[in-house]
Amino acid sequence: MACMNEDGQWIVLMGLLVAVGMFFLALIINQSVLVGQTTAEGVLEFPKNDIRDLRSAIFDYVDTELPDGVKEDIIAISLERKNAVVNFTVNQKMDVSGRWLHPVTIHYNNGVTVYNETVYY
Amino acid sequence: MVNDAGQLYTMEGVAAGIIMLLTAYIVVSTTSVYTTGDTHIPDMQLEQLGSDVLAMMDTPDTAGGESSLLGLVNGNKGPEFKDAFLNYCNATTSGAIDNLHMSANVTYRDASSNVINEHSFVTPDETWTGRESAVRVTRWVQLDSQPWPPGPVRPYGTRAQAVLVEVLLWRA
Amino acid sequence: MLSLDFLAGFTIFMLALIMVVSMVPGLLAGLQSSGIDYDAVAYRTGVILVEDPGWPVYPSWELYGKAQKDEIQRMGLAVSKDTPNVLLSTKVERFFENTSKEDQDPFFTPEDYRSKVIFGDIPYSYNFSLNISHSDGTYGLKQAGDPLPPGYGYIRRVVKIKEPSVAEIDGSSRPEYIISNPSAPEWQTSTARNFTVRLNFSQLLDPSVSPAYRIDPRTEPVNVTITNFEAYLNITEPSMDATLHNVTFLKMDPTRPNPRFTRIPFSYDTIDPNLYTLHVNGTSDLHSLQPDVPVKSSISLVLKPAATSLFTLDQNSILDIRFNFDHDPPQTNITGTHLYDYVNVTRTDLKTAVLEVAIW
Repeated sequence: MACMNEDGQWIVLMGLLVAVGMFFLALIINQSVLVGQTTAEGVLEFPKNDIRDLRSAIFDYVDTELPDGVKEDIIAISLERKNAVVNFTVNQKMDVSGRWLHPVTIHYNNGVTVYNETVYY
Repeated sequence: MVNDAGQLYTMEGVAAGIIMLLTAYIVVSTTSVYTTGDTHIPDMQLEQLGSDVLAMMDTPDTAGGESSLLGLVNGNKGPEFKDAFLNYCNATTSGAIDNLHMSANVTYRDASSNVINEHSFVTPDETWTGRESAVRVTRWVQLDSQPWPPGPVRPYGTRAQAVLVEVLLWRA
Repeated sequence: MLSLDFLAGFTIFMLALIMVVSMVPGLLAGLQSSGIDYDAVAYRTGVILVEDPGWPVYPSWELYGKAQKDEIQRMGLAVSKDTPNVLLSTKVERFFENTSKEDQDPFFTPEDYRSKVIFGDIPYSYNFSLNISHSDGTYGLKQAGDPLPPGYGYIRRVVKIKEPSVAEIDGSSRPEYIISNPSAPEWQTSTARNFTVRLNFSQLLDPSVSPAYRIDPRTEPVNVTITNFEAYLNITEPSMDATLHNVTFLKMDPTRPNPRFTRIPFSYDTIDPNLYTLHVNGTSDLHSLQPDVPVKSSISLVLKPAATSLFTLDQNSILDIRFNFDHDPPQTNITGTHLYDYVNVTRTDLKTAVLEVAIW
């Protein structure tokens, strides 16, 4: 050919456009299937039952008059088996609207969720 | 009349067609098929169920009573724990019995050597191949110091301590 | 004038385009945007039912009648927010009220369930099932919603149900309520014989008792059952049954400067099973609170929380339920005050139950 005829380039351009459109559509579809998955993963990831259980274990510890070794048990086993850093302190009883209650400070960190609480029990 | 001036158009058309077909093939073949297991929804359902069962076993039926979980762990009663746990898990409202299986460990700390030990509480049954997607649920249990003279010495020692009951739950 | 080569090229392009476009619907097949989150919605509904006490809390949502049902924002069955997985029997009964009866409309319409429990813009179909295992080995099933289709989102929760307590006064084992000396002068001045059941709210609503075991007359029925009434009859008279003249409610607020008991205004003469039930002698006839019926063996009064909420009591009040027997000559020797507290009252054990939520 004498010179480069560029009139046909628009055909390739259309083809490319259609290809890009298909790619975009497939991306949307791919993301939409994850909707149910990330909801379930979010539920599994949040340590709701772990935190509730830890609070109830600490309240049991306060109820049984703070026996020795139990606090170290909870901290060591949490770190080893639950992959969570746990710390708590139980202070002297104080008067809270007529009742004598211990102020209990709880700290929980499992790497993803951090939970801090001061509660009177 | 016929000349090769239009060859370019044919080549362009063929090139465009090849691009589209190639993209379509790649896109269609990479769209993943998600099975229900990939979405982790059955894991979420099992984990919530297992946590519920452990929490209910740890709730005394009468005020001031002892919870059944504490009694079973204190007395090291593995088979009764397995029966009680599976009764709770497999009950449905339609009366049908679900097909869940479990195994359990009790993790305790040896105070003298500061080492964490595991005591096998319920061994897995014949449906355990190691490849099921099993869910782990845990519950803290506070044990009182065993009185002297003690009965059969429990495997965690006689001091007052907190132990962690871990249950592996899977669907056979 | 189009050249032949251009047409050939264009034709190949169009053919390829048509093939590609016909493959695109295959990408979208099997995709339903509303079906993806059934399991997540079922899980969320399960959490609301099992771990949340509902809103409003004081007065509790299950005390609302059909007329005020729109003020309920959220229906949760838990006893309190500190006791997840422990459900209150009055909330369970209200939630499933009339759902299994063929001839009566359920208390809540499907629209109520969708807007107060399930939430969301899409009108989901639902099925709630609760199977309660009683202590004698039988099961009680409560269901609300449509029958299950082939595919649905699902969650199963294990719960315990707290049932109301009963004050049982057995005539043969409670001699302290018999007048020891009926012929003494103080008993000759009046023919009225009163037996009182006292509820001291500050004692009952003790914050150190967990809500799962607490007696709360504001949300649970108060059940007073007097059995073996023959022990309280006046045996010197030839075998006569005592006449229950009326039952009155009195309240006192001990925090006021001069506390005294005042009679609570109430529609004592109308029979309303939604407010109270009074059975005499074990029959199934309902009586008003001014029955004037002869009592031979037993009295059973159940005071529903809907009535207690009309009495405007607070957490320091003392509520007295006075059974008045009046006849000339007196036919019964019953007297005294029975304390409705944690020592004297029979509390039933928590009952295990399974709740299943299906959404589609």
